[in-house]
Amino acid sequence: MSAQTIFPMVAMLRNAVLTLVALAIAIGVGGGSVWYALDAQSGIGAIRIGPWTAFPDMGTPDADPYSQARVAREGVLALGRAEGLAFVAERDSDGQPLRRECAYTIEGQFPTARFWTLYAADQSLDAIDTGRPRPAALHSYEILRRPDNSAVISAGRHPAPGNWLLVPGTGALYFVLTFYDTPIASSTGLSDVRLPRITRGSCDA
Amino acid sequence: MRRLLHAVIVGAIGAGIVHIAVLLMVPEFSERDAWSRLAMASDLYRMAPLVPEPGGAPVVKSVDPLFRAAACRFDLDDGPLQVTAPGNVPFWSVSVYDRNGHNLYSFNDRSAADGTLDAIVLTPAQMIEVRKELPETLEGSVFVEADIGEGIVVIRSFVPDDSWKPAVDRFFGQSTCAPQQF
Repeated sequence: MSAQTIFPMVAMLRNAVLTLVALAIAIGVGGGSVWYALDAQSGIGAIRIGPWTAFPDMGTPDADPYSQARVAREGVLALGRAEGLAFVAERDSDGQPLRRECAYTIEGQFPTARFWTLYAADQSLDAIDTGRPRPAALHSYEILRRPDNSAVISAGRHPAPGNWLLVPGTGALYFVLTFYDTPIASSTGLSDVRLPRITRGSCDA
Repeated sequence: MRRLLHAVIVGAIGAGIVHIAVLLMVPEFSERDAWSRLAMASDLYRMAPLVPEPGGAPVVKSVDPLFRAAACRFDLDDGPLQVTAPGNVPFWSVSVYDRNGHNLYSFNDRSAADGTLDAIVLTPAQMIEVRKELPETLEGSVFVEADIGEGIVVIRSFVPDDSWKPAVDRFFGQSTCAPQQF
C-alpha cells in the first residue's frame, strides 16, 4: 500500500482509540464513583455526634439522591420519625476503628426517649450472632444506672460487672444505638443532643 | 498529546454525566429493593415476618435484634387497607412505605385510642368517600392518608426478653392486613 492510503487509516485508528479512552473513563469512573459513594458509611445527610452517625432523612421522600439510591440498593425499610432514630459508631471517641478483639466502655448520658437499644453489629450492620442464649444486645429497661442517670456499659468478650454487652469473635465491629419514640427524631433539637463516649480498654492480641 | 488530553477531559465530563444518570436510575431499576425482596418472600396482603426464622437471613435489612417485625404489601387500587393486631406488647409501631421504600407515615402505640393496633390506609379520594358516612366499626381506627397505589406497611414490636415472646407471637400471629370495601 502507498503512503496516501495508510495515512488516513492511522488517523482514523487514532480517533477511534481516543474515543474509546474517553468512553472508558466516562463509564468506568462514572459508574465506579456511584458504587464507591453508596458503600461509604458517611455521606450526605449524615449527622455526626461524637463517634455516632445518624441519617435522619434516610428513607423519607425528602432524602438526597444518594440516600434514595442506598435505600433502593440495600432494600432498607428505614424507621419512621414516630418510631425512632438509629446511630451507628464505627470508631471509638479517639478515632480508632472498633475491633471485636478489644474491650470498650460506653459511658455517659443518653438523650430522652421512651427506651433505647444498643447492639453490636458486623460490617453489614446485622446483629452479631453470639451462638449463646445471651444476645449481643442491651436495652434501657435492663440497664443499671448511676445516681445522675448516666450509664456505664462494658462491651467485650470477657464478662464484666454492671452492664455487660457480649461481643464475641474477631474482626470489624459496629455499635448501633437506637432511640425509640424520641423527640430527637422529629425535632430540630439534634444539635444539642449528647451521646455517650466510647473508650477503648485492653485488647486481646 | 494534546488530543489525548482532550479525550481525557471529555471522558471526565462524561464520567460526571454517567455518575448522575446511574445515581438517578438506581432506585428505578434496583431488583434488590425492599418491594422486590418481599415479593419473593410472600404474596400481596400477607403479613410476612422480616426475619423468617430466628438467627436466619433477614428478608429486609436493619432489623433491631430486640425487635420483631412483619411486612405486608398492598395496592390501594383494590380499596382501603385495614391493618390490625391484637393484644398488649411493650411497644409497637407502624410505618407506611411507598413502592420505592420511602417512609411516608409512621405512628406508635401512643397514637392509638386504646393501645391496640387498628389502622386504615387509604388514598385522599377514598378518604372523602369514607368521611361521608363513617362505619361504626372504624371509629377507633387510625386513618392514614397516602396518595399512593402500591405500598408496604410494616409493624414492629419490641421484645425486651423471652418472657414477652408469647405475647409478641400472638400479636404477630393474629395480625391482619386486608383490603376493605365500605
